[in-house]
Amino acid sequence: MTTGPVRPTLEETPSFLKAEHISVRYGETVALNDVTLHIPTNRVTVLIGPSGCGKSTTLRCINALVKTSSGHIDYGDASIQAMSETDLRRNMGYAIQSVGLMPHMTVEENVDLVPRLLGWKRAERAERVSRLLKLVRLDPQVYRNKYPHELSGGEAQRVGVARALGADPPVLLMDEPFGAVDPLTREQLQDEFIRIQRQLKKTVVFVTHDIDEAVRLADYLIIMKDGMIVQADTPEQILAAPANEFVERFLGPDRSLKRLSLFTADHCCLERVVSGTGKPSETQLPKGSNRCYWQVDADGKPIMGYTWIHNRIIERPITSSTHTVQPYSSMKECMSAILGLGMPATAVVDDDGRLYGEVRFETIQTISLS
Amino acid sequence: METERTVQELVLPMGANVGQFESRLNFHRKLAAIVLLVFAVSFFLPFFFARENRISAEIPGRISALALLPTLLLLLPPTMILLYALMRNSRRSEWLLSFAGALGLLAPLAVLAYVGPQVVSTLGPFARYSPGSGMYLYVTAVAIVYLMKARIRIGDYIGLAVALAVVLALGYQGSFDRLGILLEARNFGTRLSREITAHIRITGISIGISVLVGIPLALVTFQSRRMRKLVFPLLNVLQTIPGIALFGLLIAPLAALSQAFPQLREWGIKGIGNTPAIIALSMYAIYPIIRYSFTAISSIDASVVLAAQGMGMSSGQVWRIVRLPLATPGILHGVRVALVQTIGNATLAKLIGGDGLGVLVFEGLGQASVDMVLLGMLLIIALTVAADRIFQILITVLTPVSLRREGV
Ligand SMILES: Nc1ncnc2c1ncn2[C@@H]1O[C@H](COP(=O)(O)OP(=O)(O)OP(=O)(O)O)[C@@H](O)[C@H]1O
Ligand SMILES: [Mg+2]
Repeated sequence: MTTGPVRPTLEETPSFLKAEHISVRYGETVALNDVTLHIPTNRVTVLIGPSGCGKSTTLRCINALVKTSSGHIDYGDASIQAMSETDLRRNMGYAIQSVGLMPHMTVEENVDLVPRLLGWKRAERAERVSRLLKLVRLDPQVYRNKYPHELSGGEAQRVGVARALGADPPVLLMDEPFGAVDPLTREQLQDEFIRIQRQLKKTVVFVTHDIDEAVRLADYLIIMKDGMIVQADTPEQILAAPANEFVERFLGPDRSLKRLSLFTADHCCLERVVSGTGKPSETQLPKGSNRCYWQVDADGKPIMGYTWIHNRIIERPITSSTHTVQPYSSMKECMSAILGLGMPATAVVDDDGRLYGEVRFETIQTISLS
Repeated sequence: METERTVQELVLPMGANVGQFESRLNFHRKLAAIVLLVFAVSFFLPFFFARENRISAEIPGRISALALLPTLLLLLPPTMILLYALMRNSRRSEWLLSFAGALGLLAPLAVLAYVGPQVVSTLGPFARYSPGSGMYLYVTAVAIVYLMKARIRIGDYIGLAVALAVVLALGYQGSFDRLGILLEARNFGTRLSREITAHIRITGISIGISVLVGIPLALVTFQSRRMRKLVFPLLNVLQTIPGIALFGLLIAPLAALSQAFPQLREWGIKGIGNTPAIIALSMYAIYPIIRYSFTAISSIDASVVLAAQGMGMSSGQVWRIVRLPLATPGILHGVRVALVQTIGNATLAKLIGGDGLGVLVFEGLGQASVDMVLLGMLLIIALTVAADRIFQILITVLTPVSLRREGV
């Protein structure tokens, strides 16, 4: 049983970009102060830090919208290094923080902008717009011909993301792309993001204020403060060993729980289950055992959990979807299900809701201490 | 609980409506009172003037001296307004306003057509008549009536068309033959249309020059901080020079220029005439054009431009795809202001030997012919209003669909 993180280690990934000792000044303000950072290729790098710490400025350095006052930026790929600024930007989708949709263009025309700049064929483009809008959970039929002033903040933001993805660029710079979206849609968009990223493996630099979002999406996490980098590492490492008190406070008092969100149920802790269609027999659930027995219905869906607590068998009916988890649920969700059901373990079900395994509290404990 | 909510839902909006209704009623009563006052004053001022010839002294004619029938006709519109003010429901009695408006335009002209020729016939062959201050005030009152209306409806247009048709019919009969302004216009003959065209041409060329220079200059000024420090103070100074002074200032250098290069004289460039007028007018018109264009460009949301640059548009593309379309309405507003201003200012061209409607105004002043000045003025006003209307339509057409909002 492996208990380590499932993410690739960063040592062997080449750098997409190396910024050495860069500083950026806006008049009197020093926005970036002697920053050195590497962005790994084909990975998600998340920038996080308090307001005004220079996250957006860092993104703008990457696509040359801001001139550095000292230091230099090397792109790993010689062909990128040789590009003009406009070509460079056309290869990087950029979703800016304030969205900035063209007010005189429809949603479709906005999303279509970069493909049009690149001279794609018309038929190809129309189809692509629909795909992108669906991707950000907007119905193309409804939204295609709307103007930006007819959109809500969250809708406009999603159109902005679709626009950044427009020409399928190998590099994505996303400045708080889901900031104005409701938690439910945001989670769906994150899921979608993870799913796509697993397939396409783009180089992504993602800015967020939401530490949960950061931990969830990041392969590489950069914590910034006052124009400097405080700590840059994998989320696991940062959660396990915060560099200083600032990082620790930034991660919040529940960082052990947050760390659990890095592990999924299937990868490390699925265990053999004891189950049946009837009540548990003596052999299935021996007296005083700390194991669980799951009663399933005719379809194999768990309906009741049994365990020994304080010398007597207790029964817990499984009535809600929050009482069970799925193989790709995070350990944090497992923990929540365990607490919600009041059992020492939670049942893992497959996509059809059939019993598949269980995750035990003890296992989680071992992982969080590893 | 249920009943409580229903009662509230029923009562509250009704209360609000009643309040709104009351205040609307009061507002309209006040306006009606003002209109009636203006009507009343107009009855005590000279309604028209008669003259033995174009420059002899005015003989005023008052309403009180009119026969019963014309007086009654003139009294009809104010009576309707009074009725309207006494009605409780201002919305339902709106038709009274429409009627009063159309009749209010028709009545004074009909009365003029009726009494004018009568009075003039006693004064000899060169006699003429013109509307007096009482009639102007009367028409002003009618204009306020139209402003009182919530909306100009199809009925109003029909009313106006009927009034216009009657007036044209009266004119065709010859009732206005001795009207001062028309006499002057007839005296001018083909020269009149020549001056109108000249006025339009001078204005058009000046606006053309200031657009061609002003808009690019605004773009450059926007791009370069140094240009901004140079251009705006210069424009401000230019704007403070009085019109006539600027016209005068140009005479000497242009005269010298045409002296030095006689070739220029053949192209019409000399110290006096239309050239200095056009130069001065363009210099004036350039101010609103640069101001409005600059404001329009710099008020574009910075994040829109940032997004455009961020997606890899070249600076030319940012201008073409983003800035110019978004700034177009603002730029056109600047041109419209410049145009209206230039049509007025072009009157001054006559002062340095230029053409245009200024010829009528200043020659009229010189000959002490009020009617001639009036003819010039009316034509300038008509040109201004027409140009303004046409430009408004143009602006609406050229504004991107999503930026067309009502009331902006
Ligand atoms: N165009 C600008 N002109 C002047 N100062 C700027 C400009 N843009 C950013 N700054 C300043 O630079 C600093 C860093 O700004 P930046 O936008 O990078 O912050 P951020 O980390 O993205 O903050 P937030 O989380 O609020 O978006 C801030 O102090 C800000 O005031
Ligand atoms: Mg920011």
